[in-house]
Amino acid sequence: MRRSGAEVALSLGVLALGAGIAVGTAFLPSQGGYARIGPNFIPAVVAIGLIVAGAFLLYEALTGGWRSMPAAAERAEHALHWGAFGWVSAGLVAHMALIRWGGFVVAGAVLFACVARGFGSTRTLRDAGIGLAITLGVFLFFVRVLNVSLPGGWLKFLVGGL
Amino acid sequence: MEAFAGLLHGFDVALKPINLLWGFIGVTLGTFVGVLPGVGPALTVAMLLPLTAQLDPTGALIMFAGIYYGAMFGGSTTTILLNTPGESASIATALEGNRMAKNGRAGPALATSAIGSFVAGTIAVALLTLLAPVVVEVALKFGPAEYFALMVFAFTTVASVLGASTTRGLASLFVGLALGLVGIDSQTGQPRFAFGVPELLDGIDVVVLAVGLFAVGETLYVAAYTSRLPETLEKMSGSLWMSRDDWKRSWPAWLRATAIGFPFGSIPAGGAEIPTFLSYSLEKKLSRHPQDFGNGAIEGVAGPEAANNASATGVLVPLLTLGIPTSATAAILLTAFQNYGIQPGPLLFQIQPDLVWGLIASMYVGNVILLILNLPLIGIWVKVLSIPRPLLYAGILVFATLGAYSLHQSWVDLLTLYAFGLLGFAMRRFDIPVAPAVIGLILGPLAETQFRRALSISQGDASVFFTQPIAATFLAVTALLVVAPWVARRAAFRRRG
Repeated sequence: MRRSGAEVALSLGVLALGAGIAVGTAFLPSQGGYARIGPNFIPAVVAIGLIVAGAFLLYEALTGGWRSMPAAAERAEHALHWGAFGWVSAGLVAHMALIRWGGFVVAGAVLFACVARGFGSTRTLRDAGIGLAITLGVFLFFVRVLNVSLPGGWLKFLVGGL
Repeated sequence: MEAFAGLLHGFDVALKPINLLWGFIGVTLGTFVGVLPGVGPALTVAMLLPLTAQLDPTGALIMFAGIYYGAMFGGSTTTILLNTPGESASIATALEGNRMAKNGRAGPALATSAIGSFVAGTIAVALLTLLAPVVVEVALKFGPAEYFALMVFAFTTVASVLGASTTRGLASLFVGLALGLVGIDSQTGQPRFAFGVPELLDGIDVVVLAVGLFAVGETLYVAAYTSRLPETLEKMSGSLWMSRDDWKRSWPAWLRATAIGFPFGSIPAGGAEIPTFLSYSLEKKLSRHPQDFGNGAIEGVAGPEAANNASATGVLVPLLTLGIPTSATAAILLTAFQNYGIQPGPLLFQIQPDLVWGLIASMYVGNVILLILNLPLIGIWVKVLSIPRPLLYAGILVFATLGAYSLHQSWVDLLTLYAFGLLGFAMRRFDIPVAPAVIGLILGPLAETQFRRALSISQGDASVFFTQPIAATFLAVTALLVVAPWVARRAAFRRRG
């Protein structure tokens, strides 16, 4: 019998979300004027739906695994590559931290280099340069042509922006 | 012939040079982004949304119609040459299309998919022109109870009919509905699940969810699970032109597929996956060359591609006439409408006929632009495919974060984007469909509003949903859709003992 820890964890996640919504719903008012139902009615329905769906998922996960999953051979996957996952995640987090401070262009170039690294590129300096060129072009297009304001950050003296 | 007059007027709007230009830019951009592997039409439209920030509504929506068609065509190019279907609706195309490319017949495969898309798209837009006014006429009589019943029907079909597992479909739908609760309750002004974060009071943006699930989730998945696999890009060799025999085998397939695809798209059952597979198996059954199937049969490309396009146009019937999106792409298009303060539905045809008919007319035009622009330019689109993967996905994420950040200029949107990326990664890995979540997020709040309005009118009497014939019918069909497969499975199980 196949049992996947991840399937159990995801099922529990759906259940937990349902429980969380149920708790939040308890604090919402129930008066709703003519309709006789308030802003807490639909959240309650959603909470019940999540709990029922989560319970079904958990039942399937514990009795032979989720039903009708694609077979391993159909997937064409290699083993989970944590390094790749980590680099892409690091790029996104760095981008979040840098966007106000360093600005759109710098944050974008760092993100670009990190993601390329995650996909196995070893020429990080070259990647950062390409990223810089792309984000600079996008920045100038959005700020000068489309009038959408983006943060200039460290390069504000050069390119303008917020 | 009100529809005809409306359409003529629509062509006046669509053929204005500036709107033609937007359509042209839309098709080109849509194809360029749609060609990128792993980028389907929904993501293309979501990522290009910020570009229209400064356009007037008509121009912006015309550009979106172009992006939509371009993205679909770009997606089939990738499917055929790379065998990486960007979305479930292209899986059927990949079966024969990639085979043809391997046999050195990539040209005819791309040609039959482009011309088939044009034929199916044009017929489907014509059907949309005829059908929309009829649906509008009926929809004008709908009250909140009917709308609510219809939305419940749409939820159910999207979550349980499509996809491999009803359980996972419903889980995805309820996660989307839960996300839809976040923000200010439209009826009473009560904040819900915002946890005092000002950015959350506006609710969760569909664009952030879609880009998070599709772009960030997909990139994380590809990086973690397939980035170290070798990849084979088929060459564009030989003639682009279809032989007389290719034409003879493609024509009937295009027409049959249109007849299958359009109705499937226009009943709120969403998704182009079922019609593409139906068309594939129908062509296999009717073909005079059944031995070709599995080795690159041109009917097997012509049919599913035409079915995909016809159903994608069919999806616009419930979207434009009822305001109900039944595919992830339609959900994003609805967001685009809402950004301009436009609520699609029967009233839109009366209040802003210019916009609606201009949009419909621009779809005819978009189809033509697509054909004359893309067939000759196929060589350029193919080059896009040879961009090294590390740079390609890095670029996709730069544009994904740009799309999310430019909404409110807030890093909170970037954090939600990453959170949805992790969710999308898990959903992709564990075969949980994404579309129900996207549709739940945008349609959930609309359904709640209709539900509470219906009850306000009836003074809290819930029997309105069961005593009004139209609403009751929709709810009965919905119940049947949920229960019937389960009963059938039980019965089959018993018979086997």
